[in-house]
Amino acid sequence: MDEMQEILEDFLIEAFELIEQLDQDLVELESNPEDLELLNSIFRVAHTIKGSSSFLSFDVLTKLTHHMEDVLNKARKGEVKLTEDVMDVVLESIDMMKTLLYCIRDNGNDTAIDMDLTDIISRLDAISSGEEIPQSTQSSQASEPKEDEPKEEIKEEPKEEELSTEAYSDLSEDEIEAEIERLLQEKKEESKKKKAKKEAEPVSKPAVTPKKPSNKPVSSPKKSASNSKKSGGAAPAKRTASSLEQTIRVEVSRLDHLMNLIGELVLGKNRLLKIYDDVEERYEGEKFLEELNQVVSAISLVTTDLQIAVMKTRMLPIAKVFNKFPRMVRDLSRELGKSIELKISGEETELDKSIVEEIGDPLVHIIRNSCDHGIEDPDTREAMGKSRTGLVELKAYNEGNSIVIEITDDGKGLDADLLRLKCIEKGLITEREADTMTDKEAFALIFKPGFSTAEKVSNVSGRGVGMDVVKTNIEKLNGIIEIDSEIGKGTIIKMKIPLTLAIIQALLVGAQEEYYAIPLASVSETVRISMDEIYTVEGRNVLRLRDEVLSLVRLSDIFNVKQVYDSGEYTYVVVIGLAEQKLGIIVDSLVGQEETVIKSMGDYLQGIDGIAGATIRGDGRVTLIVDVASLMDMAKNLKVDIREKTQSEQKKKESPSDYTVLIVDDSKMDRKIMQKSLAPTGVKVIEATNGQEALNILKSGEHDIDAMLIDIEMPRMDGYTLASEIRKYSRYKNLPLIAVTSRTSKADRLRGVESGMTEYITKPYSPEYLESVVRKNINLLAE
Amino acid sequence: MADKLNQIFQKQQKQIEEPDRSDENIVQLVGFIVGEEEFAVPILNIVEIIKPIDYTRVPSVPDYVLGVFNIRGNVIPLIDLRRKFNLPPINNTPDTRYIVMKGENNIAGFVIDRLTEAIRINQNRIDPPPETISTDKGMIYGIGKREDSMLTILKVESLLKRDF
Repeated sequence: MDEMQEILEDFLIEAFELIEQLDQDLVELESNPEDLELLNSIFRVAHTIKGSSSFLSFDVLTKLTHHMEDVLNKARKGEVKLTEDVMDVVLESIDMMKTLLYCIRDNGNDTAIDMDLTDIISRLDAISSGEEIPQSTQSSQASEPKEDEPKEEIKEEPKEEELSTEAYSDLSEDEIEAEIERLLQEKKEESKKKKAKKEAEPVSKPAVTPKKPSNKPVSSPKKSASNSKKSGGAAPAKRTASSLEQTIRVEVSRLDHLMNLIGELVLGKNRLLKIYDDVEERYEGEKFLEELNQVVSAISLVTTDLQIAVMKTRMLPIAKVFNKFPRMVRDLSRELGKSIELKISGEETELDKSIVEEIGDPLVHIIRNSCDHGIEDPDTREAMGKSRTGLVELKAYNEGNSIVIEITDDGKGLDADLLRLKCIEKGLITEREADTMTDKEAFALIFKPGFSTAEKVSNVSGRGVGMDVVKTNIEKLNGIIEIDSEIGKGTIIKMKIPLTLAIIQALLVGAQEEYYAIPLASVSETVRISMDEIYTVEGRNVLRLRDEVLSLVRLSDIFNVKQVYDSGEYTYVVVIGLAEQKLGIIVDSLVGQEETVIKSMGDYLQGIDGIAGATIRGDGRVTLIVDVASLMDMAKNLKVDIREKTQSEQKKKESPSDYTVLIVDDSKMDRKIMQKSLAPTGVKVIEATNGQEALNILKSGEHDIDAMLIDIEMPRMDGYTLASEIRKYSRYKNLPLIAVTSRTSKADRLRGVESGMTEYITKPYSPEYLESVVRKNINLLAE
Repeated sequence: MADKLNQIFQKQQKQIEEPDRSDENIVQLVGFIVGEEEFAVPILNIVEIIKPIDYTRVPSVPDYVLGVFNIRGNVIPLIDLRRKFNLPPINNTPDTRYIVMKGENNIAGFVIDRLTEAIRINQNRIDPPPETISTDKGMIYGIGKREDSMLTILKVESLLKRDF
């Protein structure tokens, strides 16, 4: 049973691979009906699937492919001419074949969907017998597929085998052996010939016209070789025997696991680099540093290479997605009565598997839209002086760490004014918004949910869901969409998508005392601005950046970071873009670019607003990675005026007990004396035994401290350091800091002033003196 | 001397044999203090117990979720049990520990005030929680009765369940 399952799985994998190529070949074939190479390869697919399915006793599928094979075989021999009508039938039968394959994949048999084949078979038969194609269902006398097809056929017919063409079903085993022998011989010669040909000149018209094969099923396999080269060169069907690549199938989960391990390694590397930096600082000039440096660099180099190598194993050419579009555009143009040519370039560009899977749907929608709404019908085009055939271009190329996919059409273009009008009509935007909108912003309106410009809703597009889906999918991938359009000339839609999702480059930014990582793919630039450049429009803070107006939010407002210090007069803005929108995020510091590995925070913290995941930094601490899409949503609902000074609302202090004084001294006795001295004032007194502790108390914000009495000599952090640390926070710029010390020299006093002390009391002191100094500093007058 | 040694050996032997007798009924727990009360969780749910380390705050979560921290490359949420049980927060003391617990498919660290001990308790000494306090979203598995005190045994699965 297991073996059977395995064979079935292999069959499905192979079949899906084959039919993927098939669509492309068929459309190609329509424009080059004479291309025998193409015909042969198409025929082979039908044949292989027929063979395998009969072995696995999928009778419905066998029957269908058998009839397809008949038609294709005739076409190959030149007995049937492939007109558009014939192609329609063939394509339809291939669609049915696909449906059956899906059915097999999902149900394990081909009878579950109970497909009716009589109609298609009668039409296929009509073609192969050269009759008119009947439109209606006519029960046909289709010959049953031969059930006794030898199973050796499948085994002994490798996929790559170029020449395994004709129906071997009629041959006995001995004959098959002989045939294989002969084919192998021929193949050797053929590849020799091909080599010679390649060296000579790729563009050479086929000299040998295939002999019209007799009715014997074994035809001369030579013709495929002699006809192999097409002058056009566009045919991607040149998967000749020479491109025999050594491959091995690996489960995706294993690659995922490998990728995770590499992720760990990258984190380890980051950590090593950080430690090296620290060590370098500490042991400057030491000899071992040199060696350490070499090791660290070597490891970091190898890690990077390894990472790239593993990433590459997960890469697929985007052709996997692009391949289905020629067929789609062909069908669309027939359906819409337009003439559309699809030009594809850069299909060899590679992308991570997970992204390739996500990107299909958005592209389908965009191309449909281009065909349906973009390209005009031939008469209109002619009247406008364009060629009757519309052109849709699909282009992919690499740009830095991302891949760009461009969809260009030479259709009627987007009308920005019309878009505004429509959106106002539908209540998607207000008139005021429409007035202030640039054309580019207006183009982006097509991504609004519930939007559709099509006057008529066709079954192709215009239901107002498509472009919204595009946007969400691209956002999911952290991609950016740009639209450019000119009326009458056409539209360009440009999508920029990161190459991989697991390990990303991120910009580390600081918001107050916290750090966040923003995926670099979403960052378009960073600027330093003065607070004066921020304007307020309708309660929103905006920045004029060149000729764009950018909404601004503060990262610390979005994430409710505790405000501990003011950013000062200048600040940094990180401009992030996602899909079609942009936003400026104010951060307090820019740390730099770092390679980060996205780690999930587990089920418990899944889906926190604005957070995509976490990563571990070089110092072992966790840094959160910003989810740009949800950050943008959060920013919309945020109403904080950035320019409003963060004035801590001063609570009214009425009685002396509302005041708090923090005493910092390592000697218990000294603390006691100070406390006693302050007792008459009635203020609240708290204590700390060293600078570090005092700083923590201050920062924790638990106490609203009005003044501090600080000893200079203390363990862990002395009084000077404490004072200068405190002065770093703008909130405490005016906090009275009173040094209480036995150091009496002038130099000490000077240092005290430098570090930010307000007063300097030398021990010994009288309790009254201390009391009066404190009173003075906290403006508490004696009664 | 030999006598004493013998005694010790015998005692040890007894200890080794003892679990066999009532193995299936013994539950092994780890006890800890949060606020004034002693709680316990099954020992098998505990991954490790560590001293407090730095954690990173996570925005837009309830205040009892302090943030996330890093244990050997894993990012794990940190939950303050004091706040979860609506007790006033206190600063870390030298006794404060993080207990990392895992459930079926979740893992999290919990801040506790102090560890007590590993506890072996017979299943029949554990009562189901009184109906009147079942309001706690079923966080309590049962009440363990000991010679001189009571023990609240917590349900790890519901501690690890996200309730926001």
